[in-house]
Amino acid sequence: MRIFKQPNFQFMKYKIFAFILSGIVITAGIVNMTKGKGLTGGIDFTGGTLIQIRFKDPYPITELRETLRVIEPKIQEVEEGEREYLIRAMSPKGETEQDQEAHEIMGKRIVDILTAEEDRIAIENGLADLSNIDTDELTSILQTSFPESTQDIAKSIIELRESKELKGIIESYDQLPVAGIDQEVTDFLKEKTFLGSLAVKRRESVGPQVGDELKRRATQATVWALIGMLFYIGLRFKFAYGIAAVLTLTHDVLFTLSIFSFTNREVNLPVVAAILTIVGYSLNDTIVIFDRVRDNIKRMRNQEFEEILDQSINQTLSRTAITSGTTFLVVFSLFLLGGEVINDFAFTVIIGVIIGTYSSIYQSCPHLFFWNKIFKPKKGMGK
Amino acid sequence: MKKDLRWKSILVLAIIILAVYLSYPPSEKIHLGLDLEGGMHLVLEVITEDALSIETGLEILRLEEQLKKKKLEYATVSKDGISQFSIQEINLDQENAIKDLLDEFFKDWDYSITGNTVSVSLKPGAANYLKDLSVRQAKETIQNRVDELGLAEPTIQRQGTGNRIIVELPGVENPDRIKNIIKTTALLEWRLVLGGPAPDTETLLQDLGGEVPSDAEIKRGDLERTQGGYYLVSKVAPVTGKDLINARRSTNEWNNPAVLFTLNAEAGRRFYQFTSDNLNKPLSIILDGKIQEVANINDRISDRGIISGTFSIEEADDLALILRAGPLPASVRYLEERSIGPSLGKDSIRKGLAANILAIILIMIFMIFYYKLSGFNAVAALALNILILMGILSYLGENAVLTLPGIAGIILTIGMAVDANVLVFERIREELASGKSTRSAISAGFSRAFKTILDANVTTIIAAIFLFQFGTGPIRGFAVTLIIGITASMFTAIFVSRLIFDLTQSRKKKREKLSI
Repeated sequence: MRIFKQPNFQFMKYKIFAFILSGIVITAGIVNMTKGKGLTGGIDFTGGTLIQIRFKDPYPITELRETLRVIEPKIQEVEEGEREYLIRAMSPKGETEQDQEAHEIMGKRIVDILTAEEDRIAIENGLADLSNIDTDELTSILQTSFPESTQDIAKSIIELRESKELKGIIESYDQLPVAGIDQEVTDFLKEKTFLGSLAVKRRESVGPQVGDELKRRATQATVWALIGMLFYIGLRFKFAYGIAAVLTLTHDVLFTLSIFSFTNREVNLPVVAAILTIVGYSLNDTIVIFDRVRDNIKRMRNQEFEEILDQSINQTLSRTAITSGTTFLVVFSLFLLGGEVINDFAFTVIIGVIIGTYSSIYQSCPHLFFWNKIFKPKKGMGK
Repeated sequence: MKKDLRWKSILVLAIIILAVYLSYPPSEKIHLGLDLEGGMHLVLEVITEDALSIETGLEILRLEEQLKKKKLEYATVSKDGISQFSIQEINLDQENAIKDLLDEFFKDWDYSITGNTVSVSLKPGAANYLKDLSVRQAKETIQNRVDELGLAEPTIQRQGTGNRIIVELPGVENPDRIKNIIKTTALLEWRLVLGGPAPDTETLLQDLGGEVPSDAEIKRGDLERTQGGYYLVSKVAPVTGKDLINARRSTNEWNNPAVLFTLNAEAGRRFYQFTSDNLNKPLSIILDGKIQEVANINDRISDRGIISGTFSIEEADDLALILRAGPLPASVRYLEERSIGPSLGKDSIRKGLAANILAIILIMIFMIFYYKLSGFNAVAALALNILILMGILSYLGENAVLTLPGIAGIILTIGMAVDANVLVFERIREELASGKSTRSAISAGFSRAFKTILDANVTTIIAAIFLFQFGTGPIRGFAVTLIIGITASMFTAIFVSRLIFDLTQSRKKKREKLSI
């Protein structure tokens, strides 16, 4: 089976269109980034707090927004059913002593605001919150009345709470006997504990100092990776190929960031990793084609350079299609099933695979062509 | 079978066995990152200036003692900064005696005399030493506290030589509690109460003409433990938390949770003397500058005592734990926190696995559909690739933890590993199309694709190495799986896949067509 039988597309004929297309997207992106909405930095870079909360009872998102209005957070529903949310809040940027810890205080504040009044009263009455209690504490509560295998009972209750079914919060005491906890224990817990209205499943908070540092390190990683790859191509190919490759990679990064600037997604650490992955992937594609060009220049001495480029792209077209296809398939599975934590990453790589495939044909080769036209009009690329 | 094919087969078999041996069972052998296992990652900063400030305070007390002992005249010694103080209005006739005193007993300090004031400041070298010491001590104290908690596999590291300490605690269920335990400075002091309680400072000082006596200071009751009134307490603490040798949860006379402490012998003697001298006077217990409890000294106390206050069972447990582990030399603050609950970690593992399995199935179907029998070749190479990746991950253990981005890295590796096979297969097809025999087409296909595969993979590895170098936490996990996976893919796609071709071809008749 074959995707292309003897392909002979004249790719280079449309190079100007490609430049125009990329030019429009990137210009629009840059305008948007500098003058418009711009890129949204995640808490990794700006500093701030991210909290994933699961509620015992459904809590409509509009109501949640209203309750947290003073903090101006970004709220995202994690799962259908109005029970679980990701809440992000930026902390004030500043140099004062308090600002250094604002990210941490913010996290506490969000939980405080959302904690129901009943919970507070229950705590004042000396009850423990079964939704947020840890094994140690539960053990010490059970100790007096169930001195035998206390720790095992406590462990199985916590395990039940953290199971796939309950997802971190116990909704009613009836769930305990169903899962095999003794009725006696359940009745005892009804007296000594209460079921809190919410459970914090994830909390990330980043101070401004660390945010700046992460930003610096991410930039360093990107710049050094580009330099490293340039150096390697320079070693294996000719200078012109290196320039064409770097222009292509810069195009890929700008193109991806442009698309990003028009979405509501945040640029966080995983996204930076994704962009670097794209750079590696796109370069991979470019090298496969350049490799052919290098071969073909030796074999097709009398052909026009444009013809050689077209030939090389056509010869590697099956491979390009298959590899892009398979990579797309795997990243798409990640996008579908990987969960919300990895979703931004998967999204970025999906865009990147498309852009990388396009750019290795329609950016790297035209760059090589124009370089050849400007600097070596007579001799051709072979020498 | 040719001889070299036999050796190659044995090598591949050995690698398979080794990889299985290293990684089985994966749930025990592969170290999971905090994002998958659940747990807490903390970056905290030791405020080293605090330690300097405390040291300066102690040195001032020591100096005053020496000055009095040597009968040298001065008005006051005042603290001018974190590590600076000055002796005011000295008797210029005694200038040399003061110089001698400073030279002999305060070697870590620089001083200069202008008029009748001696300005003293800590030498930069000594300051750096103290800062470094405070970070090391803080690390040790935190280590002690975490050890007391009995958590599995905690890691507490200092970040380079700076002020930062990284604490990683897998399986933590209640991050807030742990954070409180780590952050409490836990400077415990017993001091005599000279006045109070009063609702505000003015009332407190009414009888004293509005001035705080030089040997006393004002402290407030902890709002959570007392009524929150203001007290006048002595500056000197006869006993502090440093003198404790043990502390545990107990109950007071009303059967409420309390903390029972034991002092070391020397402090016990001191405390006995002190309580004998001050019988029936009120004594305060101060933790981190806040009064926890005020009680009358009814008896002489030697080496055992009780801290009451209104504690819950857990609070009493935690305070006892903190006291056993000792005080922090300086306060700390949190720069970064990442806590993942156990249910979320399990969820991520499930989702990551699901995505992985779907990706593998899709690729297998595609490769077999598109390249027929040769597609099995690629599938075998891919399976071995994942196996080797698991083996190396297990072998590296704690140096290469599997994180959620790491799982993404594995998935990406699968996508890219196929590329090496595709490059080879497409070349073989081209060679077959140009009329070569099956065997020479295979041979030419592999050797011509090799250069391309190498170049393409090395560039990706370069990007991954820089990610590893500059990345943090989860990102490093991504880089690790990508580097290992791509390296393994070069071996499987070039060496193993070739071997399978050669093995199958060696059994076939010469003219048979290749299924590709």
